Amino acid sequence: MCGMMASYRILSTLANGQARRNLFGPVDREQLQVEYQAALRKDLEEASQRWGFDFISDKPLESSDFQWEGVPGTRVPLLYRTCMLGQAEGQRAPGTAAVIPKRGRVELPQSDKENIPRTPERCVLNMENWEKTPERRESAGVKRKQTNITDFYQAKRRVVGMPRKSGE
Amino acid sequence: MELLCLEMDTIIRARPDPNLLCDDRVLQSLLTIEERFLPQYSYFKGVQKDIQPFMRRMVATWMLEVCEEQKCEEEVFPLAMNYLDRFLAVVPTKKCNLQLLGAVCMFLASKLKETRPLTAEKLCIYTDNSIRPQELLEWELVVLGKLKWNLAAVTPNDFIEHIVRRLPLPEDKLALIRKHVQTFIALCATDFSFAMYPPSMIATGSVGAAICGLQLDSADQSQWGDNLTDLLAKITNTEVDVLKECQEQIERVLVSSLREGRQQQQQQQQTQRGPSGKGLDELDQSSTPTDVRDVNL
Repeated sequence: MCGMMASYRILSTLANGQARRNLFGPVDREQLQVEYQAALRKDLEEASQRWGFDFISDKPLESSDFQWEGVPGTRVPLLYRTCMLGQAEGQRAPGTAAVIPKRGRVELPQSDKENIPRTPERCVLNMENWEKTPERRESAGVKRKQTNITDFYQAKRRVVGMPRKSGE
Repeated sequence: MELLCLEMDTIIRARPDPNLLCDDRVLQSLLTIEERFLPQYSYFKGVQKDIQPFMRRMVATWMLEVCEEQKCEEEVFPLAMNYLDRFLAVVPTKKCNLQLLGAVCMFLASKLKETRPLTAEKLCIYTDNSIRPQELLEWELVVLGKLKWNLAAVTPNDFIEHIVRRLPLPEDKLALIRKHVQTFIALCATDFSFAMYPPSMIATGSVGAAICGLQLDSADQSQWGDNLTDLLAKITNTEVDVLKECQEQIERVLVSSLREGRQQQQQQQQTQRGPSGKGLDELDQSSTPTDVRDVNL
């Protein structure tokens, strides 16, 4: 990984001035991780309360101001389907240099590329729970009162559903 | 390496858009919404137990230096400080995590405002590797949640053009005035006493301080009519007394930070003469925060 070393060296020299410094001493990594997990859990709890939905077990809460209704994954706009990013990345072997002519720019190998911010892997699992709409058709007996966001996409459904090959 | 150097130069900026800058509705909208993005509490008097005001200044100074050294767009630093204050107003934070928070806020502000944002690796190096990129990315998510994903906060920088355009200023001085105003705004962001002020007031006070500092107001008294402060106050609907106080406060902060800067420089020069001082002089010159030293007083 000689390329990686080179770019690391450039970064180090860039940050070699007095600005590079640790302000408040060492960070307690374990404690930080504990606090991070707690913060995420708290966010999730707050979201559960707000939306009346248990995002972990994927079920609506008993005491909810909302009426939840399952919608099949295929009816959800492409944007809201899970792990589009992950799939696209998985297709490319890690470390392979990819050239994207459309942008007129040579992409660095994945490992070398300065981080394109990604959701940390541990969170991806959570995100899946967040974004998956439950497919429980049998509960559709409940009369719908609320406008569903997918209502606005029905006319375009087929277009959106088509695999987008161009440019990708 | 050459490729990287070339890439550094291709920063793409939009040209000033007259549709945005010449329409009074834009300024009015900015004034209407700006308060939504202010931190809700003076957090040192309640939420924060471990963090002291001087620590905020330490992390702010560090953030400013990083932004300067990385040649970030001017609004990145004030925006990052807005995120920091809004987070600290709601989340009790430990001293040892404050630099991580500062790095996360720069990371977010840079991504929102720049075509070539700061990277997580770079920011971690600036913390002297006391944090890891993975931790930065994890806490990015936490901070985003606490900010309710409201990142497009109004900053004092958003008002500069709107104010400057409404003043009778000599064309040839505009660039210099802007530079000074930006410096004052950055200075305000490092000082907690400005954290709860509306951005428009900081911008207006900074423009006033810049014009007075450059002594443009005394050069031709007649063109200002009665008073520069009155005119400025009218532009952003600020009360004259409040604005005057704000401008004076900015000038006081400038004086004290100039004094501090001079002391620090002397200290650094002394330490540089120590064992491995070679080559550091150059870096010192280029990374001195802001152009404060050039401001005429």
